[in-house]
Amino acid sequence: MVNLIANENMKVYRRYRTWVMIGGMIAIVIIASIFDWYYDRKDLTETTWQTEVTADVAHYEKMLADPNMGEDSKDWARDELAISKYRLAHDIAPEDGTMWSGINGAADLIVLITLFTVIIAGDSLAGEFSTGTIKLLLIRPANRLKILIAKYASMIMFGLLLLIILFLISLLVNGILYQFDSTGLPYLTVDSHGIVKEHNMFGHLWQTYLLNGVSTIMFVTLAFMISSAFRSSAMAIGFSIFLLFAGVLMLEIFHPYEWSKYLLFANIDLSQYLDGQPYQEGMTLGFSIAVLAGYYIVFNLVAWLAFTKRDVAA
Amino acid sequence: MSQEAVVSLRNVTKRIGKTTIIDHLTFDVPKGEIFGFLGPNGAGKTTTIRMMVGLMKITQGEILIKGKSIKSEFEQAISHVGAIVENPEMYKYLSGYRNLVHYARMVPGVTKARIDEVVKLVKLEDRIHDKVKKYSLGMRQRLGVAQAMLHKPSLLILDEPTNGLDPAGIRELRDYLRHLTREEGITVIVSSHLLSEMELMCDRIAILQRGKLIDVKGVEEFVGGNDQAQTYLIEASADALAVADIRAMNGVEDAKAVSEGIEVVTGRDRIPEILAYLIKNDVDVYGARAVRQSLEDRFLEMTGGEGIG
Repeated sequence: MVNLIANENMKVYRRYRTWVMIGGMIAIVIIASIFDWYYDRKDLTETTWQTEVTADVAHYEKMLADPNMGEDSKDWARDELAISKYRLAHDIAPEDGTMWSGINGAADLIVLITLFTVIIAGDSLAGEFSTGTIKLLLIRPANRLKILIAKYASMIMFGLLLLIILFLISLLVNGILYQFDSTGLPYLTVDSHGIVKEHNMFGHLWQTYLLNGVSTIMFVTLAFMISSAFRSSAMAIGFSIFLLFAGVLMLEIFHPYEWSKYLLFANIDLSQYLDGQPYQEGMTLGFSIAVLAGYYIVFNLVAWLAFTKRDVAA
Repeated sequence: MSQEAVVSLRNVTKRIGKTTIIDHLTFDVPKGEIFGFLGPNGAGKTTTIRMMVGLMKITQGEILIKGKSIKSEFEQAISHVGAIVENPEMYKYLSGYRNLVHYARMVPGVTKARIDEVVKLVKLEDRIHDKVKKYSLGMRQRLGVAQAMLHKPSLLILDEPTNGLDPAGIRELRDYLRHLTREEGITVIVSSHLLSEMELMCDRIAILQRGKLIDVKGVEEFVGGNDQAQTYLIEASADALAVADIRAMNGVEDAKAVSEGIEVVTGRDRIPEILAYLIKNDVDVYGARAVRQSLEDRFLEMTGGEGIG
């Protein structure tokens, strides 16, 4: 098994295009961080963060006093108010304008990781069929399931590698840009009793990154399934990327229907439970995890059946 | 023969939908033999080979390799097999060496020394670290043989192995296969559309047509021995009278004038007599040779004249 994964990794990393992608991603992270930092500085006002947070406090209090405000919004305003007051009382600046907001912003680039990993994953199986190398691969004393698992494992490892590179590069670049100030800044949350807690900022960022990584895993699994079922790289890559961008649109269209909460895309962004509103009323983290697990099992089952049961006639 | 058989096919049938592609194939290939598959395009040579190496499922019947079923004991059965199925397609973006490392990792017990040994065997030492996309077809074919030989298989299956090889390469491959069977007791199964190649290479040949086994015969049986009539071409400036005289000779089945000289159908033992006659009658004789198309002729005869791919 270790050997099979080593083989798959060799096929990924001894290829020019892989390094073009990694290099491209690093370049985009650096450029995006510099842009963010530049506009961040331009927006910098004369006022201190204390005055801004004090203004926020007034704003939240007004919201709470408003009788037309919904219960959800009030809950949110209550939490934000607690955090803002805590900031003033304990002299903890918000993340805005520090390296942490930059690193947090770089998490949006995880969609790039999804894109690149989907390209590699879509080609991983189907490419072997279209070039004919699958024949020499499958006539070895390793059954098809093991080969499939090795390929899948190497894809997940590639995605994880990109995630680590993204995190480290954004940490480094933003650190340099903001001269590593506010490194010890804690991350604040409010628990169910309305008590403000301090958390490690690193831990919080990794949580964001990993939750975003869930969507990468789902898309890679999807691409892998299409790759196995249709044995066409173009189809696997094209279809997965289409869904990657059309997913949001589909959610808009199907939002009025209650069943839309079972859509893959409605559940793929788990960070909706970290901050903000879930897609449909009544959706919980547990629900989303269950739905994702369902899709995950189906994708893998189809990939497995299509790969192991069918004749190789390429 | 069956205890010694390295490969046995028992009623192997392949159906796709309602079409029967392979119809009840049964034969054995004993140890140390070079066995040929011959048949027109679409006869099922490649399908049979794909079933032997587990790329295609067997609808009905059984294929045993050294007594292990390719269906139910795939990993044990396939570990005895080295194969090239159709073209030896390798990872073009990797070097030849990396390709071999790739396949070596999939079989237990292939050392670095073994890889070097195989590289030397196929004479790719100078180019092995180049990327495969820079290889010529012949070099790819040799790399294909190298990957098939890596784990010292007892059965080598080569689908159209002479494809893309120049005459020297074909000869080299032929000698090499002979060496493998004689010295190392390896069994070889080849398919080829080059009939003359099969004739020189194989011990026995199976003829397939429309998925059915028409015949399995030793090469000598195909080609015919000393006593059997064969076509000879005598290059001579003969006139019609001489041709008629030859036709009338004892043991000559047929004789006719062709552009190069005279074509005679007769036994080998009659040739000196015919030549002596021609020389005695002041006919200029430039040469005499057997027209070695017998295998092809036999093949066309057996398959009812269908084209050979």
